[in-house]
Amino acid sequence: MSGSIERAKRGLVAEWRLHALSVVSLAVAFVCLGAALLVVFNLHALKDRWGRTGRASVYLKDGAPPAQVEAIVSALKNIPEVKEVRYLSPADARAVVFGQSGGDPTLKAVPQEAFPASIEIDVAPEVPESEVQSIVGKLSALPAVEGVETYGTWTARLASVLQGGTMAAAALAAIVFGAVLAVVGSTMRLALTRRRAEVEVMRLVGASNAFVKTPYVLESTIQGAIGATAAVAVLALLFFLVKSRLDADLTGLFGLDPMFLPPLAVLGLVATGGLLGAMGGALGLRRLTAV
Amino acid sequence: MVGSSARAPLQPFLRAGSRDPLRGGDAANKKPVLVFDGVQKVYRQSSGADMHVLRGVDLEIERNEFVFVTGPSGAGKSTLLKLVYRSETVDDGRILFCGRDIARLTDDSIPFLRRNLGIVFQDFKVVPTWTVAQNVAITLEVIGLSTRLIRQRVAVAIERVGLAGRGGDRAGVLSGGEQQRVAIARAIVGEPALVLADEPTGNLDPALAIDILGLFEEIHAQGTTVMFATHDRTLLDVRPRRILVLDEGRVTDVATGLDHFSDDIAIDAEDETSAPRAIVAPTRLRRVG
Repeated sequence: MSGSIERAKRGLVAEWRLHALSVVSLAVAFVCLGAALLVVFNLHALKDRWGRTGRASVYLKDGAPPAQVEAIVSALKNIPEVKEVRYLSPADARAVVFGQSGGDPTLKAVPQEAFPASIEIDVAPEVPESEVQSIVGKLSALPAVEGVETYGTWTARLASVLQGGTMAAAALAAIVFGAVLAVVGSTMRLALTRRRAEVEVMRLVGASNAFVKTPYVLESTIQGAIGATAAVAVLALLFFLVKSRLDADLTGLFGLDPMFLPPLAVLGLVATGGLLGAMGGALGLRRLTAV
Repeated sequence: MVGSSARAPLQPFLRAGSRDPLRGGDAANKKPVLVFDGVQKVYRQSSGADMHVLRGVDLEIERNEFVFVTGPSGAGKSTLLKLVYRSETVDDGRILFCGRDIARLTDDSIPFLRRNLGIVFQDFKVVPTWTVAQNVAITLEVIGLSTRLIRQRVAVAIERVGLAGRGGDRAGVLSGGEQQRVAIARAIVGEPALVLADEPTGNLDPALAIDILGLFEEIHAQGTTVMFATHDRTLLDVRPRRILVLDEGRVTDVATGLDHFSDDIAIDAEDETSAPRAIVAPTRLRRVG
């Protein structure tokens, strides 16, 4: 094995331009895959975050008597499962939306009457969905209440988006894997052709197919691993560049701090790169049987 | 004579590391290293006609022999050697190497056969980007020896061929004669049972050719069996050696000092010591005296 490693090192050095080109191609493919994984990972975190937050908005009818509104607020505060209750008047609601839009002048022109008064409720995370629905059901029956929004539809839509994103990432992964196998296989076949003299000599002194192929498979494994590592590095650089510029906006919009891929995912990506490299090399050289 | 058995793997005693299975033991010493038994080789030409390169060749090479294989260009000298190291396959007949029929070897066993052979070519076939030591060491790397042992044996082999101290030089910067010495070192470092030399002096000037022949003779003197294919008559006359003459697909076994390229090969029937061993009785032999 040490001889194979030595010959693989010699091959990497002798054909470094060829391998560098292949690594760049692999890195581009893995950046695409890594970016898809990053989006899926953060969508998943977002879904978890919003799924755990038992949040509801109780929209009040126009002209609801203040006493009834006060009674609803007071009753909600007495429910142990409810962590926080906030009353938002139409003016307050307009101010919140205007503030979140970053001072959009179009929204400034919208009249105050377009924004209904609401009671914002935060339910403790550990409260089961069924109890939240029970509270919502009781609130909906009150005469002063126009409607109750639990954002269940929103999180369901987010889950649907996440599912679609996961499937798209899986399809992209399959394409990337195929591309990696093809690139690595072609590169190793070209390397073998360029080192035909070596192979001929090895055959003449009694080298088996495994002896001839092993260094090339090692080279392709290293190619794949380096390609994936380079992709992770580029992705990290891009991620932190984007995050540094849009961090506040993203956090405010989603209530979640975007995160890079966890260490295990990074290791998995590099290991996958190495494994695909090995497979690509082995497949690309599988027709090497002539003695 | 056709071997009836199906293609069979090479027997265990010729596996890696068993470089000269004939060494040691009286019984082993009596076995020929190489036997051709009714070997036929035909090439199908593009015109559809068959070209019979070897027609019913019978010959035996004993252990520790030095044998020249000669004949006009295209006679089949290289083909004869290629059949031994299985770069070509026979169309009929058997080839026994150390008692085993190598004509029926499976592809998986061919590497093990070649580990027991040393092969030297006209075009050297050294890897120019490798060092001298790396070129020689590959023979031992394929059989899995330790790095320390490889280093020792490579140094000895390089010294034997007169390239001491050149182990670190890239083979591509060496002269033709030096590259051929590297090829010879590669061929002998594994202590093979048989060294095959296919026109090893073909690309060298006459003085170098004599030097290289001298190197093969030194190797032979230390107990290695050598088959040396050449069309260079000056080499055949350097020292009395057994000569196999290939012509029109047939092998004639002759002693040195005779006119090997004449139409009829004369032997002295009265002088037993100079008469060749009667391996074959080709129609072209003519008795005199």
